[in-house]
Amino acid sequence: MKKRVFLIGGYNKTRTLAESLIKKGYDITAINRSMKHCKALAEIEGVNVFNGDGSQPFILEDANAYNADIAIALTERDDDNLVICELCKKKFNVKKTVTLISDAKKTEFFERMGIDSVVCAISAIAGIIEQQAFFEEMSTLVTMSKGRIRITQVSLPHSAPAVSKKLIELGLPKDVIIGCVLRGEKSIVPHGHTRVYVGDVLVLISTDEHEALAIHKLLGTVRK
Amino acid sequence: MKNNKSDNKKGGKSYIIVVGCGRLGANLATALSDVGENVVLIDKSAESFRKLSPSFGGITLVGDASEMTVLNNAGIAKATAVISLTNNDNTNIMVAQLAKKMFNINQVIARLYDPERECVYREFGIETICPAVLSMKEIDILLPSIPLGYLEQEGGEVNQKIAEK
Repeated sequence: MKKRVFLIGGYNKTRTLAESLIKKGYDITAINRSMKHCKALAEIEGVNVFNGDGSQPFILEDANAYNADIAIALTERDDDNLVICELCKKKFNVKKTVTLISDAKKTEFFERMGIDSVVCAISAIAGIIEQQAFFEEMSTLVTMSKGRIRITQVSLPHSAPAVSKKLIELGLPKDVIIGCVLRGEKSIVPHGHTRVYVGDVLVLISTDEHEALAIHKLLGTVRK
Repeated sequence: MKNNKSDNKKGGKSYIIVVGCGRLGANLATALSDVGENVVLIDKSAESFRKLSPSFGGITLVGDASEMTVLNNAGIAKATAVISLTNNDNTNIMVAQLAKKMFNINQVIARLYDPERECVYREFGIETICPAVLSMKEIDILLPSIPLGYLEQEGGEVNQKIAEK
């Protein structure tokens, strides 16, 4: 049976998510308070759409949210999102709840209230912008454990202090691993005595707090 | 944050945060302040504070109480009671849960128009006031010839009864 996913509130994000999740074979139901948005969402093929306030139990009931696999709260108000997730979890027995929040300071609170995944769009976007603006030579590929672990790709320019050195000589922090060196067509799994050269792309696995230091050791640029 | 009047000299021991300055919030805050309690009243609109009686001796704070910063500015960490009376149920639920869960406030009261969301706050020891339930009880008293069944039962069960309708 298809996994049932509920997208509650939100418009642009809901649209994008719905289109992408349908392609991946999920059964999508969107609940939206605005009739206009509902009509637009209904144009996406295969989406079930319900008009109403998703923080009201009878709307979730109408939309048959019982035992759904995932509920994603995307309204613009944190309090609405909290109540939507709690209702889904406690009253409708939804297996996993995900919410967007705008006030990053409430992340811990939302997690304590039993919401499985809390996404703070503003801090995520600020992080991306910061990265784009300050580090031309690197890009973060993946973040895991809520941003605590990152996989980052760093290419070595001429100016980099790491050029022509062995990894062991770089003095990288303990919590940083160079998982792979991409050199032209080749990819090398390096050890301590591997030398890195101009144009090499290093794939770094690091914790959040040590990433900046590692980048500094490799590229010589200082964060901010 | 501004102090409407000089510090309350009677100096009640409690520190009560009231969220929402509607008719109920304004009356409650004034009454608490009149009996000598320390009160901080939060509302997102400065206009709302016009409802306050001139005798109100507490602190008013403009801001959205669903933001942590606003609650911190109100001094929620040292509050003895938090009473959330905005006209938005979800805001009241969140403020009450924040107060309970993050700040361990003993006495937390929330007003909820819709008793159907009960499962959300029941397990947290949050006390709720539901105007519809209170009104039904009152009507039950006013109509002694027609027993409506709202007087024997207490709290949860009554809420349940309204929720079913």
